Amino acid sequence: MFIKKILSYFDAIAFTYKTNFLILIITGGMICITILSEISIFSLKHDFDILFERRTKPLIQLEELKDTYKVNIYDTFYDIQQANISNEHASEVITLAKQLINNRWFDYKKRVDDKYYKPSYITSVITAIYPITVIEEKKILQERIISNIEKKIVIIDDLMNNILKFLEHNRSYDAFNLVDKLYFEINSINIYLTSLINYDLKLAINEKRKTEKVFNIMVVMSVISIIFVFLFSIILSIIIINNFKKLHNSLELKVALKTNELQKLNDSLEKKINIEVTNNRKKDLIMFQQAKLASMGEMLQNIAHQWRQPLGSLTMIIQSFQTKKMHGKLTDEFVDRKVNDSLLLAQSMSNTLDDFRNFFNPDKVRTKFLSQTCVEHSLELSKLLLEKEKVNFKFIIRDEMEITGFYNELSHVFLNIISNSNDAFASKDKNEQKIIYIVIKKVGHFAQIIFLDNAGGIPPEVLPKVFEPYYTTKYKSAGTGIGLYMSKQIIEKHMLGTITCKNVKHKLGTNNLYDCAKFIISIPINQEDYNDK
Amino acid sequence: MTNKNLNILQNFNILYLEDDKNLRLHTKDVLEDFVNNIYAVGTSTEALNIIINNKIDVIISDILLENENGIDFLKFLKEDKKVHIPAILTTAHTDTKYLLDAIKLKVENYIIKPINIKELLNTLHDVLLPVIQQKQIQKNNNIIKTISAVTDSKQVEVVNFIFNNLNNDDLLITSYSEIMQMISISKPTLIKLFKELAEKKILVKTQHKTYRFDEKALNLL
Repeated sequence: MFIKKILSYFDAIAFTYKTNFLILIITGGMICITILSEISIFSLKHDFDILFERRTKPLIQLEELKDTYKVNIYDTFYDIQQANISNEHASEVITLAKQLINNRWFDYKKRVDDKYYKPSYITSVITAIYPITVIEEKKILQERIISNIEKKIVIIDDLMNNILKFLEHNRSYDAFNLVDKLYFEINSINIYLTSLINYDLKLAINEKRKTEKVFNIMVVMSVISIIFVFLFSIILSIIIINNFKKLHNSLELKVALKTNELQKLNDSLEKKINIEVTNNRKKDLIMFQQAKLASMGEMLQNIAHQWRQPLGSLTMIIQSFQTKKMHGKLTDEFVDRKVNDSLLLAQSMSNTLDDFRNFFNPDKVRTKFLSQTCVEHSLELSKLLLEKEKVNFKFIIRDEMEITGFYNELSHVFLNIISNSNDAFASKDKNEQKIIYIVIKKVGHFAQIIFLDNAGGIPPEVLPKVFEPYYTTKYKSAGTGIGLYMSKQIIEKHMLGTITCKNVKHKLGTNNLYDCAKFIISIPINQEDYNDK
Repeated sequence: MTNKNLNILQNFNILYLEDDKNLRLHTKDVLEDFVNNIYAVGTSTEALNIIINNKIDVIISDILLENENGIDFLKFLKEDKKVHIPAILTTAHTDTKYLLDAIKLKVENYIIKPINIKELLNTLHDVLLPVIQQKQIQKNNNIIKTISAVTDSKQVEVVNFIFNNLNNDDLLITSYSEIMQMISISKPTLIKLFKELAEKKILVKTQHKTYRFDEKALNLL
């Protein structure tokens, strides 16, 4: 439960915290291990130092003490006995030996008694925790040996002093007696010293064992701690890695989910785009129809206009028969005249109708025709509009060219441009002279038809948009012809030409310079030949 | 054709302003049978010439002329030339703008094309009738004045008094003494006059001091 709680808590913390935690754990473990091993090494070194200082050095001193008795004193007295050296010389050596013995003994005692040599803290802790069974230092034995040795030293000193005194007083016999006794004492002290050495040696071995045990414990402990840290690190790493895996998996899942969503979105977008594209096409078609209808409406208005006057005359003629009859003036001559007039009027009305009906007949096939004929026809159709606004037009034919295409569609385009100019004039100051200036000329393989009007040009903010669909500067979009968008479609797609517009300054064949809107329509001359090439 | 007496148009001169040559010709052909003289022109300049040189009684004008406007021309005549001639406008346009201008100009009528000749003639009749009536009244006045100049003026004065004092029921309520106070006439002459009128059933006594005038009796004379 508790572990689970921790794990769940761990799951909940942030990713960066987890990585930091992992790093902390690993570095912490490393540092712990390092410190522990350092401490162990130093404490062990300390213990070895103590062993050396406290146990090994006293052994050497005791050995030296033994040697001093054996070599210096015993040999010197032997030499005296043999009379190999003088008395003075001998006493000097013995004094020196005595000093040496005293110093060494003092040193030894100091070392043995000193509390300075304490085991290291770690060792004492370890020994406290793990009581090490060592042979108890037999203090009493040691003290007794030491006191015996001290006694023996005093005895030997006395003996030596006595011997040296006897020798000074030349009492050789006494002296030699004492020397034998001294020999005995020296041997006994040597035995004591040897046992002390043995005792110390035992202690040293004991202590070495103790140190070894401490060392073993330390090794075990450090191994355990290393293993513990190692395991802990590994477990934590595994947990964190698992966590990462979980995170990774969940992220992967999320990514997959999002990718899926994106894919779906993409698919739906594609569908939407397709639908929109088809819708757009439909709209284009509808627009074309609308444009045609609008154009038709305009034409109908034109027809109505053109019919009104002859209709008025005809009405009058019909009524005139009645009034003439009433006055008895209905002569044959009058009837003939009026009938002729009526027939002429009716014929002109019929012609008007034919003109406009042809205009709306969709062209089934491409035909060859002179470019100027089409322009002239368009001008004829828009004559009424132009007259109404009192617009003069100038038509200049530089080159005669045959073009191939849909005659009526092209004349729709021309009519649209003329009608736009006319609308522009209608919104302008009426005092100025109104001119539409049309030029046809040959430019390379193209017939160029240029329309210019001095209605002031197209406003700069409108200029880039004039060929866009749905764009109109007029409040009522209906009744203004097929529109420039449709004109562009017709010229580019059906006639394989181009249509552009810009604002220029032009004299229009007069002496004044006008701000003009300029439409340039380029249509390939004799398309079939051009295509063959 | 019509109940109205269109013969009255016979004495009038009409100016017809229309820019469409055909319509002008045919309308002229019709109208010339009804009026004394018809001047059919296509521009305002010609029209002005005609007006200056001839006596014109009515102007019939199209509103939309070639490069000009009939209303503007009429306005020019009225305001600048101070010529007041009744006018009838014809137009194919039924715009209210034109209509408002026409009303402001106080034109007599407004005819929409195609022209119905009956409507035009009736309108002409309506326009010209007051002129004829005015002429008639003037003529009658002149006759009475002439008669009174050559006969006994006192009797004419009495007749004048009688007609001036007729009430709405054609009754005259008065007495001889009242008349004699107004007009210095002898009583026998007055009585004789009344007796004569009574005999001819022109003025019959119905009650005391009340006489009835009978218009029909005049026609029987």
